[in-house]
Amino acid sequence: MKRLLPFIIILAVLGIALVSAWYFTRTIPAPTTASGSQSQQPSSRGSQATQTAAEPVAKGAPGAEPAHVLGPANAPARLEEFGDFECPPCGLFHPILVEMHKEFGDKLQITFREYPLVPTHQHALAAASAAEAAGMQGKFWEMHDLLYDRQKDWKTQFDVRPVFEGYAKEIGLDVERYKRDLISDYVAKRITLDGSRGHSLGVTGTPTVFLNGVEVPFQSLQADQLRVVIQREIDSAGKR
Amino acid sequence: MRRTWLYGTAALLALLGLADAIYLTVEHVTGQSVRCTIITGCSEVLSSSYAVVAGVPLALIGGAGYFGAFSLATLAVFGYRFAATLLMPLTVAMFLVSLWLIYLQAFVIHAFCQFCLFSALITLLLLVVTLVSRRL
Repeated sequence: MKRLLPFIIILAVLGIALVSAWYFTRTIPAPTTASGSQSQQPSSRGSQATQTAAEPVAKGAPGAEPAHVLGPANAPARLEEFGDFECPPCGLFHPILVEMHKEFGDKLQITFREYPLVPTHQHALAAASAAEAAGMQGKFWEMHDLLYDRQKDWKTQFDVRPVFEGYAKEIGLDVERYKRDLISDYVAKRITLDGSRGHSLGVTGTPTVFLNGVEVPFQSLQADQLRVVIQREIDSAGKR
Repeated sequence: MRRTWLYGTAALLALLGLADAIYLTVEHVTGQSVRCTIITGCSEVLSSSYAVVAGVPLALIGGAGYFGAFSLATLAVFGYRFAATLLMPLTVAMFLVSLWLIYLQAFVIHAFCQFCLFSALITLLLLVVTLVSRRL
């Protein structure tokens, strides 16, 4: 028995190691519909055009109002992204979200929240401000798309201000006004409010995505998996 | 007798290293390592090209190394002399790889990953314990 004991111990450790690795790597099931959660009940008033009428998609502190929203407030699938324009995985997630928006149309509502990871990403705050300043002229999404699409171009620059001003010009903003808005309290406040909302929801990284109030695991933020999760929300809303 | 204790310690250290390596492998496989977070920023280390060797996550290779060290140390505790002999070159190799990885983190990637540093500390302790046991 004593001769076998070390081999038994070794095999046991190997077994435990493999089982624990398997346990943690198995695909975390995508969130099922949080039954009974009022947060996903589309507001009957929400069909009005005003974005402020939309209920917050997830619980937590309110973010900046009006939020940057694509799609109707009464969409069965309501997605809220906390993003950082300088974060590479957010940049990779952007085309996936564009694809989802095209595919699901009015069935999917997309909200973007600023979550610049300031000390690590030196230009993240400047990028968030640029998008918010563009938002003040009604072109948030245009700037949002440009910032993500050209992330690689500006990320490594020392001074990003002229680059972003160039983008502002490109999307047809009043550049002088954009430059004033960039340093306004309004822009700063919006970013802080979105950040507080993220903080209250326990967001620690980007991109963090909530779908109808439930966080979508990071590893499910691939087009094929996200599509399934969104479709599931739409289907379950149809049954109600 | 003291030697048995030392090999026992080595086995425990290797277990800690194994747990660390499993954690890192899971992070790597699930993609958490490439996410940007408040604490670590984009985990430059785990998402760097150095985190993969010929398509295999480095953390997994580390896990295999620790498992090997654990097996040899356990066998050594039970008096298998060949295991004690083999443990030495393995720990030396693991320590050298750790040194290389610290060099990469400090001078090439310019970012440190706590769990990788923990692994390096474990290999250092493993080396010390193994060296001492050989001297006895």
